[in-house]
Amino acid sequence: MSVQADPGYSLSSERLRRRKVVNRIMEALATLAALLAVAVLVIVVASVVKKGIGAINVDFFTQTTSTFSFGPSQSGIANAIVGSLVIVFFAILMALPVGILAAIYLNEFASPRMRAPLQLALDVLNGIPAIVVGIFVYVLLVLGSGQSALKASFALAILMLPLVARSTQEVLALVPDALREGSLALGAPRWRTTLSIVLPQAVGGIITGATLATARVAGETAPLLFTSSLVGNEVNWNPSHPLMSMPYFIFAASEQADPGLQEQAWATALVLIAFVLVASTIARYFGLRSRRRRSGKR
Amino acid sequence: MTTAARTAPTGPAALQRRGRFRFGDSLLYGLTLVAGFAAVVLLILITWKVLAGAKLSWQTFHLGFLTETTWNPVTEVFGAGLFIFGTALTSIFALLVAGPIAIAIALFLTELAPPWIRAPVGALVEMLASVPSVVLGLWGILVMGPWVVSTLSPILSTLFGWTPFFDGEQTVGSSQLSAVLILTIMVVPIVSSICRELFTNVPTELKEGALALGATRWEMIRGVVFPYSRAGISAALILGLGRAVGEAIAVTQVIGAGTKISFNLFSTGDTLASKIAASYNSAGTNLERSSLVYLGVLLLIFSLIVNVLAQLIVRRVARRQQGRT
Amino acid sequence: MRKTRYVIAALAAGVIAVVAFAAVAGAQPEKKQAVSLSGAGSSFVAPLIGQWINGYKDATITYNPVGSGAGITAISGRTVDFGATDAPPTVDQFTNCRGCVMMPWALSASAILYNLPGVKNNLHLTGSVIADMYLGKISKWNDAKIRKLNPGVNLPSTDITPVYRSDGSGTTFNVTDFLSASSKTFSNQIGHNTAVDWPKGVGGRGSSGVSAILSRTPGAIGYADIAYALANKLQFAAVQNKSGKFALPGLRGIKAAAAANAKFDSRNFLSIVNPPKGAKYLQAYPICTYTYVLVPTQSPKGNDLKAFINWAITDGQKLGVKLLFQPLPAYVVAHDKVTLKRLSST
Repeated sequence: MSVQADPGYSLSSERLRRRKVVNRIMEALATLAALLAVAVLVIVVASVVKKGIGAINVDFFTQTTSTFSFGPSQSGIANAIVGSLVIVFFAILMALPVGILAAIYLNEFASPRMRAPLQLALDVLNGIPAIVVGIFVYVLLVLGSGQSALKASFALAILMLPLVARSTQEVLALVPDALREGSLALGAPRWRTTLSIVLPQAVGGIITGATLATARVAGETAPLLFTSSLVGNEVNWNPSHPLMSMPYFIFAASEQADPGLQEQAWATALVLIAFVLVASTIARYFGLRSRRRRSGKR
Repeated sequence: MTTAARTAPTGPAALQRRGRFRFGDSLLYGLTLVAGFAAVVLLILITWKVLAGAKLSWQTFHLGFLTETTWNPVTEVFGAGLFIFGTALTSIFALLVAGPIAIAIALFLTELAPPWIRAPVGALVEMLASVPSVVLGLWGILVMGPWVVSTLSPILSTLFGWTPFFDGEQTVGSSQLSAVLILTIMVVPIVSSICRELFTNVPTELKEGALALGATRWEMIRGVVFPYSRAGISAALILGLGRAVGEAIAVTQVIGAGTKISFNLFSTGDTLASKIAASYNSAGTNLERSSLVYLGVLLLIFSLIVNVLAQLIVRRVARRQQGRT
Repeated sequence: MRKTRYVIAALAAGVIAVVAFAAVAGAQPEKKQAVSLSGAGSSFVAPLIGQWINGYKDATITYNPVGSGAGITAISGRTVDFGATDAPPTVDQFTNCRGCVMMPWALSASAILYNLPGVKNNLHLTGSVIADMYLGKISKWNDAKIRKLNPGVNLPSTDITPVYRSDGSGTTFNVTDFLSASSKTFSNQIGHNTAVDWPKGVGGRGSSGVSAILSRTPGAIGYADIAYALANKLQFAAVQNKSGKFALPGLRGIKAAAAANAKFDSRNFLSIVNPPKGAKYLQAYPICTYTYVLVPTQSPKGNDLKAFINWAITDGQKLGVKLLFQPLPAYVVAHDKVTLKRLSST
């Protein structure tokens, strides 16, 4: 990887000026690209805020909605918020233990030869499109027995698993061996060491990882199409029924002609973005703080 | 993307394997072992179930399915040709636009920007990645689509009307071009965050050496940063491609469910993922449903190849870098 | 560890806030009816079902207008209590439904919608011209064939953008039935089904999706139940029937088409598309359709479904008049009541 001795690096002022101009142009293009990305983000968020804020009021959070513009009048998304909460809650319940245990195995028990293919499997699972996971859950669970929020949670849990496992593993690897050795030297069994000594050190990182994974799947729509799309318009906490969710509501309402439904879709998008952004920011902030503290302590 | 390296003899795994095994240890080991293999089991299960669902269609059409461009529920002739074309066209164009932009952003954030700009702008670009795809689709239908029809399409038509990609003008908000734009917005943050990490990991001595020899910053980037990060950049682009190919929701919202193969970006089209999302619940016959799952098989195979490839490149790059530092 | 405690405290506070919110949200007035019936399917009949939801007091009805095709899938999977479709299920679909029966429960018309700002409503069109527009053979609004049908109307040179249903749709079934009967080329090239291989244009999901695209796209032409044209203030065409008259999809046009007294086939499907020439059918709108409810003969809520459908085909019909759903002819109601006897609770 050596720098090539290139006639371009000459000192003749004509060439130098040209090279400087090219450099300026490239710098300008790079800056432009960054500005473009920021501009797009600002435009999207501004659209959502501008078009959605009008519908946000107390009613919005306490009344219900449906994707059915001829039905009873709807002015709020309480059922969608509740449904999303239930679905994501159970998804976390399913993915978190498996993810943490998998990370423990990969970091604490697996031999390096075992670790590589298992990590590869996790990373490949991460890249499976959500729609394929949706088909899978549909064929496996929904065909013949109907939709339910739990089946939607299962699909989301599959999407969350690699994220939780990966972030937990990273934070477990940061726990110094000295702690483990000390605990074992004092006679504690391995399981005690892992659960009472190593894991608590990693709690901050686990929460960060779980929060980021939650933020990612809270907005996933594709698996919900197959598992929780035929929904009623009452607030329903029962996870064995299909439940309305925020992403599905946005999806269905986005294609409707009714401007009232469209405004509600924007408002729901606003709530969803707010949740995702707040969760991601908090998670990253805490993750950064814990990393700084850990390196500071050492 | 870096995996924590652990050398066997002194790692916790080795610690745990020596000495006596108690019941609690076996229990924990057993539970974590099962969890550790969960991803493998899921991958196998997913592949198996999806293949099983496509069996009827496979038995009817075999590999001809891939080249058949008709999707006709009346005559019960189904084929993936149209969707493979649409997926390829939109994803490749998205990558062509997103790739350079993402790399430029990564360069800006690692080489050009003063330190006080890097954190906020970097965070904003990451935020773009966390916007849910359904929200981008909503914005695409109601805001971007009309803008493309009224403003962007005439410009592109004037500039590139001589190519087969921008023939005529766009009359409807939904089109392959709209899909390309939305996919670009999704792919840029992914590629740029990977490239950012790559460019940060380029050894400073190499960069400073080039600058000391009189290279301009751009020449240094072109001569040091790019060659060093070449493999990683390709992995990033491959992952971005995987993301673009797999996106179902936002694409189905803006692509318009077109039915004919057309190189014209202004016309409607359809992709593998978007067709599945649109039609899955309403398949009329078992053959139609099975054919939709067959489309899913193609998506699955493609994403498996893309991901394994990208991950292998990433691991090779990580190993090489650890060898150096 | 202090930071972790803060994080846990924050999360706990968040959980408490959520539960509190839920308590508020869940404190809706208790519905008096214990019975709930859920349905899914045709977006064609959705406007009328909306009226039924408000008007039927013996059960709480919820409905998802996901399209006839998805409705058939939903009831087959017993994900809902009843399905609604404008097209007869295929042989495969009937088998997968395991003991389902269908019967007509509403009657309306599929309007041909268009968006031409500045042009009058109720343009005159014929089946073969509409077919040519969808085939791509007529590509501009000021084409000679359209001008001939509408003398004196100033038609713009806007491109025609055909809009169709991208999901499995009973409305597509009936409109393509009409267009196939009107144009040999359409019949050969495209055919007639809940989803067909359209040669050009844009797809929308549900009648609502089609209406949405139409509202945004000058020059577009599409199809949906007439109630959607009224709700979204869209222009709709006067379509020529076999008697030569340009008929409108109003109650009079639908009633005249229903006078064809179509026969029930073995699946209880009744087709009144393209009524024959005759004095009785002078005002008949040629794309009228019955729409059907699809229910299992044996189901846990069989008796409740029976009561609901019985109400829908009798008292419920009055609620549809303002949405241009013509009340069912007496012979249809009588036939349905016989079919209803087959329903029972398990």
